[in-house]
Amino acid sequence: MTFRRALLLGGLALIFFLALYSWNSRTGALDDLATNVGLEVSAQILGPLRYAKDGLGNFWNRYWDLVGVREENIRLKKRAEELEARLVAMREDLAELKRLRALAQFPVDARWRPLAARVLAGRLGPGAVMDTITISRGYTNGARPGVPLVTNLGLVGRVLRSSARAATALLITDPGSRIAVYGQESRAPGILKGQGTGKPMEVDFVQRDAPMNEGEILVTSGLDDKYPKGLPVARIERVAPSDYTQFMAIEAAPLVDFKRLEEVLLLEKSGVELPPEDPEEPAALFGPPIPARILKAREQRAAQPAAQGAESAPAPSPAPRTAPARPSVRRDSPSGQSAPRYRVIVP
Amino acid sequence: MKWRQIGWWICFIILGVWVQSLAPGLDALVVGVLILLQEDDYRDMLWLLPLFILLQEGMGSRPFGSVVVWYAATVVMFKIGRWLFDTRNFLFMFLLSASLGSVYFFVDWLMAPLQNLNFNVEDALDKSLVQALFIPFAWRGIQALRKGRDREDDES
Repeated sequence: MTFRRALLLGGLALIFFLALYSWNSRTGALDDLATNVGLEVSAQILGPLRYAKDGLGNFWNRYWDLVGVREENIRLKKRAEELEARLVAMREDLAELKRLRALAQFPVDARWRPLAARVLAGRLGPGAVMDTITISRGYTNGARPGVPLVTNLGLVGRVLRSSARAATALLITDPGSRIAVYGQESRAPGILKGQGTGKPMEVDFVQRDAPMNEGEILVTSGLDDKYPKGLPVARIERVAPSDYTQFMAIEAAPLVDFKRLEEVLLLEKSGVELPPEDPEEPAALFGPPIPARILKAREQRAAQPAAQGAESAPAPSPAPRTAPARPSVRRDSPSGQSAPRYRVIVP
Repeated sequence: MKWRQIGWWICFIILGVWVQSLAPGLDALVVGVLILLQEDDYRDMLWLLPLFILLQEGMGSRPFGSVVVWYAATVVMFKIGRWLFDTRNFLFMFLLSASLGSVYFFVDWLMAPLQNLNFNVEDALDKSLVQALFIPFAWRGIQALRKGRDREDDES
């Protein structure tokens, strides 16, 4: 192949690639194809491998446990040995059951349906530049893009892309992850930002006067409409005024240990809408209190026609110059008691 | 014979995906591309290369395109190296893997702003280093397996 021909071929390949890239950016067709093929095939490979690995691990553990039991309990009866061996064999199942029970107790309301999924792998392949995990559910069984992932300890992340029976989930520690949060006690809002695996997370846009403290738990505020409100996410580790911005510089650590993640819960929207809460009384507008002399005059005016009515027909009295009826605003006092309601008086 | 070849490559893919699940960011299938190039097996490359690309793009978390660039660069680097060295030499593979490690870093750096992704220098360096170290030893192992298979074929 001559140099000129190689150059021509390279140029054509580059043009073809750029065309393909632009077309895919617009349509996403190749992304869909790659997700459906790559993710699905890798899940089909990793699923059985994971089960085989677990099985081998169990077998190995059981073997060693059995040896240990025999050495320690050599004088025990055969029946007791069998029971012990069975107990050891069940230990892994019991541990899994405990984890799943803890997951199942995750408090979510009827709007969210929890679905358990197994973690198949962490980041896979050269294209895995984000902090992700691969899970054993796809868009056919609950893992659509955007669905949040939790454990009994707190928020894990959300589904990034999914094939039919497998999905890639973005972890909250990824630098591209942004979550609207509140301090659980201070109720101060902020945006929780990932910085990468093993690095502390940052909480941005927290006002300087916000009473956030170290050790406080951050929960999802639900304002981003991506996660249910109230999910625990991270614990504050350091709070200090920022040297560069007008906000606080806050560092937080995720509550979930991502290195030991084996099962997760997907929170799929169930489609059930909770009934609206009872409407409160109409709100009152704020205004100055009615002066005592006006109140007194009004009472006198009300009493006068009643007294005159006994002697003669009552003369039409002018209506008090008050504002037309408006909805009122209620404000609770700091002590917890309702503040007196006022009405606006037009002089 | 043909089915045996297909079976071999399927086993290679299964092993590759499993190895990749153990080392985040590693491309284990690129060794297959190098083997195909070494053996001038363009007929198998015709179906294996698109399959590798689809698998890697699907498993990853970035938009389509970076793996295409990465494999194209691998092919180009191999072709350039072929002019200068004997491709079955371990030293050649060592030098090639070192260059591919740099290419891996370069592709990450090139594609991150194009795909609006964060570029983490430390992470990219770690992955490039692991990739560069992985290739020659994996290639050596697979070469040994291929030789054993070829010897069995010759005997039969």
